[in-house]
Amino acid sequence: MLRYQENNELHRDFHGTTNMTLDYIAENYGVDALKEILRKTGRDVYKSIHDKLAAGDSSELLEHLNWFYHREGAKYSLTVSDDEIRMEVFECPAHKHLKKLGLPISKYSCLQTSEVNAGMCEGTPWESTVEICGEGHCIQTFRRKKEDKA
Amino acid sequence: MIPSDHFVRFYNEVFKFLDAQGGLAKYYQTISAHQEFHCLKAFSENGLQGVYDYYQKIYKEENCVGHTILKGHELELYMGKCPSLSKALDNDAGACPKYCMHCPGWTQPLYTKAGLFQIYDLMGLDNPQCCEWIFDDIEAARAKYRKLLEDHKKEELLINFEP
Repeated sequence: MLRYQENNELHRDFHGTTNMTLDYIAENYGVDALKEILRKTGRDVYKSIHDKLAAGDSSELLEHLNWFYHREGAKYSLTVSDDEIRMEVFECPAHKHLKKLGLPISKYSCLQTSEVNAGMCEGTPWESTVEICGEGHCIQTFRRKKEDKA
Repeated sequence: MIPSDHFVRFYNEVFKFLDAQGGLAKYYQTISAHQEFHCLKAFSENGLQGVYDYYQKIYKEENCVGHTILKGHELELYMGKCPSLSKALDNDAGACPKYCMHCPGWTQPLYTKAGLFQIYDLMGLDNPQCCEWIFDDIEAARAKYRKLLEDHKKEELLINFEP
């Protein structure tokens, strides 16, 4: 069950403020500071997902990915097994909205995904990767670490 | 992607980081400059009606509970339950104690640039309620400010004009 239940109107312009903020932090405080804020968001804001992953339960992570990408109108596919969740996002909703607004996409934009996902997995038996396949197209993978499968 | 639903909780982490660095005020100016993209033309050209129209969209998209009343030279924006602070408070990472300050932080420079006058009552930084009054006439703003001072302390009201 999702810790943060969201099911009403969306304010997609927040993607613009996120985009501006990524640039602002990286340019004024460095990329490492930006990564730390994003990791902390993954670990502490999504504590419920993090704690379940630590206990070996990926159910909330799966629900989170499915629900929030669906709500944003993304084109994506999810493939799930006991030890792996693979999500291919064919058109990132954040990038799509930024393009609609005519705003340049931050070069740090995909760190949102890679660092928040890494924060969710930090200190748990899970690890994450993000493969950028093209503009707005990525494959996010959450995989149970090999040593933990035995 | 951080879902737009969860932007507020990311923003809250940014505020915590910047507060520790003493960097909130400069960031508010940057947000304000960014928001000019969305608001400045409408606020400058259409005045209070432009602000009213913008907040009709915001109240709907951000699921605000409150009201907007436009009458003469005054626009009242009352937030009975701020969805932004509510999310920051409903948050396993905990709310930044200065979370509310970003709102006057970005709106005040923008209204000033648009030639509008603002009175802001935050009603407490841990309370998801606030009220602001915006004017297109300095004397109307001053009269409202004097009236509000009858039952508010001076430090409770943030303004962008000489009273």
